[in-house]
Amino acid sequence: MTAGAGPLTVLIGDDEPIIREVLREVLEAEPDLSVVAEAADADEAIALAVLHAPAVAILDVRMPGGGGARAAREIRRRCPGTRIMAFSAHTDARSMSEMRDAGVSAYLLKGLPNAALVAAVRHVAAP
Amino acid sequence: MPRPALRPGIAIRPRPATPRRRISEPDSATPPGPVTVPSPAASAGFAVSRGLRHAEAWPYVRSCGMPDPLSAGQEPPAYASYDPRDLRLLVDKVIDYAIFMLDPTGRVVSWNAGAERIAGYAAEEIIGRHFSVFYLPEDTAEGRPGRELEVAVAEGRVEDEGWRVRKDGTRFWANSVITALYDADGTLRGFGEVVRDATERRMAEQALRESEERFRLLVHGVLDYAIFMLDPTGRVVSWNAGAERIKGYAAEEIIGRHFSVFYPPEDKAAGKPNRELRTATAEGRLEDEGWRVRKDGTRFWANVVITALFDEDGTLRGFGKVTRDMTERRTVERALDERGRLVAHLVRAQELERRRIAWDVHDDTIQSMVAVGMRLQLLASRLPAEHAAPVTRLDEAVAAAIGRLRDLTFRLRPPGIDQNGLVEGLTSYLDEITPGAGLAYTLQHHLDREPPRETAITVFRICQEALANVQKHAQAQSVAVSLTSVDHGVLVRVSDDGIGIGEAADGVTRPGHFGLIEMRERAETAGGWWGVRRRPGGGTSVEFWLPALRYGEEDPLP
Repeated sequence: MTAGAGPLTVLIGDDEPIIREVLREVLEAEPDLSVVAEAADADEAIALAVLHAPAVAILDVRMPGGGGARAAREIRRRCPGTRIMAFSAHTDARSMSEMRDAGVSAYLLKGLPNAALVAAVRHVAAP
Repeated sequence: MPRPALRPGIAIRPRPATPRRRISEPDSATPPGPVTVPSPAASAGFAVSRGLRHAEAWPYVRSCGMPDPLSAGQEPPAYASYDPRDLRLLVDKVIDYAIFMLDPTGRVVSWNAGAERIAGYAAEEIIGRHFSVFYLPEDTAEGRPGRELEVAVAEGRVEDEGWRVRKDGTRFWANSVITALYDADGTLRGFGEVVRDATERRMAEQALRESEERFRLLVHGVLDYAIFMLDPTGRVVSWNAGAERIKGYAAEEIIGRHFSVFYPPEDKAAGKPNRELRTATAEGRLEDEGWRVRKDGTRFWANVVITALFDEDGTLRGFGKVTRDMTERRTVERALDERGRLVAHLVRAQELERRRIAWDVHDDTIQSMVAVGMRLQLLASRLPAEHAAPVTRLDEAVAAAIGRLRDLTFRLRPPGIDQNGLVEGLTSYLDEITPGAGLAYTLQHHLDREPPRETAITVFRICQEALANVQKHAQAQSVAVSLTSVDHGVLVRVSDDGIGIGEAADGVTRPGHFGLIEMRERAETAGGWWGVRRRPGGGTSVEFWLPALRYGEEDPLP
């Protein structure tokens, strides 16, 4: 699925239920975005990405099953059409470079305004 | 004419001998010429000290084989207590002093027992010979004997100390007084010479001088101890090689300066230097162990003994100070002692606790607050404008709190020294904090080896605190961090070019500077020292040293 035909599909991978819940709410509030799956760890994120082939996967950096970096690497390999965004509370250089090396397109810091988050999802998904 | 009373204690008094009598000629070999006994008015009192203005008969003693004027049918003295014969006898028999007469040309005309004992000549061997035989050949060659007579003539007397020669050629150290003797007409009759053999005294003095010199050289040359003197106000008045080595000052740099310069600022502020002098004065001596400051500002752990020096009157003359650099011993001892291990445990426990707090805050508190913020934004977007504003403000407050918590977890998180070492850990920390603070930084390091983990962590944590102060208070453009291996430890300086810390340079005593107190406590707990000062050119410099010996097994932090 790609942008243009219907809403942008999004996968959320975060081990914090409260974050998954609010993230879904923020994204679903946008008519052109649709959350197609929520995963609580890396394995689940990989499986659901393979299943749904979302336009964008939003992944936490630290989560069970090898963290966001492993999930990103696998999803890039298995779903080349899926763009990946890191969404993390970690500001340190190591976390950032780890995710960059895993092939993520953007690194978003938790706490940024909702509008910026939504804009970033659209930007990442744009071809 | 009234008879003058004989004063006790005065050895030679002129006889009030009127009318004048002629004294018979002495030995034919060296006729001293006619001698008249002067009137009391002509006498000048204390003969030995003033130049004998009369010519007494007394030196012409029997032992010289000269006629005794007193026994030659002349009158006995006019008063009972004074018999010139007694005096002659005294001179004759005295063996501690050589007492003899010279004629105006310097020939010996009389000789006593003391002279014989000291110089070795019998009277008959020496009478008639020139007194220069007593002098060293080189002294004679340069005219010393004649010159002494000239001075005696010019000034009445001459006192001299020097080597003289005995009959057997050996030398003795002589203290001599030559007195010019005049008759009543002012004619030079000759000279009286009194010589004392001061060889033993001189040897003793020389031995003492040599011993003092050896002692001085010893004190001066000792390298392991700073040994120096203070005046009663505490100013340095002497300095030795050890002091220069331990404290770094050359003698000319430190003499005249007050010894409080050796104390850390916090001790100076607390009045410790003068307190130590007062204690030493009251109790005679004071021993102390503590940090002292070298010329270059680094510190060493000193054992100090101050001894008050009093003269015989009990007046304080100053202080002797002996200082020993115990840094190395203390560091080694600490590496072995239980406290060192406890410190290592403490540092480790602190790090684990910090990490736990960081994780809790990060994984729980921040996540929840992020969710709250996102929800508040959603809520605001769905409310009519008049109700949305307060919700937006609430969201902004939450966002600001998130930012502060993020800084906290950043500071609490492990510095990553285990994997990459201290320099690497500090570099990445500086890389992360300085751009946001608008600071340029330099990091210089001259470390012999990677410090043990606990030391490295403590260095990192104190640097972190110092850098936080720079960010918060200094208004600086740049910060310089240096790490140097010194005295089996790590010396660290964090210097900025900002506005400089307040005048109370120790900072520690001022309330409210918990950061400063915490840094100092961290350093001291680890067995090191810590100080902060205004830099002369502006800005603040935090400086600390931590011992860097391993306390035992190093398990990586889990």
